[in-house]
Amino acid sequence: MGDALKFSLADFFFNDSKSVLEPPSDFEKWMSDPSVQVGFSFYEQKLLAAPRTTTEILSNVDGQRRRVINLMSYNYLGLSTHPEVIEAAIEGLKKYGLGASGAPLLSGTYDLHVEFARRIAEFKGKEDCILYSSGLGGNVGAIQGLMRKGDVLIMDEKCHKSLIDGGVLAGAKMLFFHHNNPQHLDELLAKNAGKRTLVVVEGVYSMDGDLAKLPEIVQVVEKYPDVEIYIDEAHSSLMFGKTGRGVAEHFDLEDKVGISFGTLSKSFGGVGGFVCSNARIIRYLKGYSSPYNFSCAPSPVIVAGLMKALEVATRDSSLRDKLWENTSYFKKQLDGMNLNLGDTESQVIPIIIGSSGEMLYEMAAAMQTAGLFLQPVDFPAVPAEARRFRISMSAQLTKEEMDEALGIIEDKVAKRMRQAGLIGK
Amino acid sequence: MTRDEVVEVIKRNILDNLEDLDENNIDPDKSMKDYGANSLDIIEVVSCSMRELNIKIPRTELADVKTIGQLADKFMEQIGK
Repeated sequence: MGDALKFSLADFFFNDSKSVLEPPSDFEKWMSDPSVQVGFSFYEQKLLAAPRTTTEILSNVDGQRRRVINLMSYNYLGLSTHPEVIEAAIEGLKKYGLGASGAPLLSGTYDLHVEFARRIAEFKGKEDCILYSSGLGGNVGAIQGLMRKGDVLIMDEKCHKSLIDGGVLAGAKMLFFHHNNPQHLDELLAKNAGKRTLVVVEGVYSMDGDLAKLPEIVQVVEKYPDVEIYIDEAHSSLMFGKTGRGVAEHFDLEDKVGISFGTLSKSFGGVGGFVCSNARIIRYLKGYSSPYNFSCAPSPVIVAGLMKALEVATRDSSLRDKLWENTSYFKKQLDGMNLNLGDTESQVIPIIIGSSGEMLYEMAAAMQTAGLFLQPVDFPAVPAEARRFRISMSAQLTKEEMDEALGIIEDKVAKRMRQAGLIGK
Repeated sequence: MTRDEVVEVIKRNILDNLEDLDENNIDPDKSMKDYGANSLDIIEVVSCSMRELNIKIPRTELADVKTIGQLADKFMEQIGK
């Protein structure tokens, strides 16, 4: 194998080994290359404490325990570690035990699940809600449960893998429109007019932090009778919109979105997923969505904590106000360094480095050693010419933490990019 | 192996992965997208073709390939090595 760094996980999908227990022989060779091992050493680094904005990790870079400013965890509002949320989860644990010990349809549904689903539906302004044990399971399950062979699924090309996997499992015809391009969406809809069709977008796109162009997309979709919109608000629920309901609320288009999905692991600080829509389709979905009816129900401990998280995040706007204040300050400082932040419009801020994987990993190691936990994001997760760091902002970040992190980014990333002539002075 | 034979391998994999196509109507100067392929179909066609031709080109080097003919040219570079 020539230059190992030219290859990526995208290149070893097929396996010609005779035994299914043997990975491809060239994969093994590739993984043992020292330059590839440097890249993989960033994966699965151990956090030794809660995902607060200052935490502790056991670094794979040098084997040291290290206090770090944490710009990685998607604990956007700090609810995972909020004292009231922790207290509620402890009470849930005492009352219900650790797990639900049953699938939802038979014995896994507790009063807690029903109440939380009701509150989420009310929050999202929809008739009903179905809960899932994981966010990925929610997207896979909703798409797989609603779409059939012969149906058409038209997704933004930057949609999450869980949505794609749901489409593959459903056997629906899958088409991808150019990112945030309503004209291309229109072309695909015109070609498939008359077929049962679902258009899928994300409120905030997870690798770029930009928003769906929902007003233009709705305008196009409305030309086609019975075509519905599914929005994935994983990175926008509790944060966008006047009351935190998400990007659909932000654009005042909630009534145009038939199905609203969200995760419970990001701003909510727990784990799980939910899908809100009209009561009739939610009832139907419960019968056909495998990650719902063939999986254990969400842990009552988590649901007890989530119930409190929803209450804390929606009783006033203080947490999201703080998040936007922090995001605005941080972006302004990064802009001042002339870094390429792409088209971000949210608390997800990419710092796009370019095509050099080597530079990306060197910068990541330098930042970590200096006390900043900011992981590299490489191809195929992002385009090969736009390798990057992806910042998750948090309402919990203090000015001191942000300034310390910015100092490290200036010193280890911006300065080096300026020296290499990749950004202006 | 000639370029024409490589084009035939790619065409066969396109036919295996896309519906309602006739081999005679696949023009090497066009993109697979012109025949209704989505990004998952394209990955499948490219991977299956490389597997059949016993070559391996990093996905990062195929980003600029637009047409079926350009893909065959890329494959020929590797076959020639």
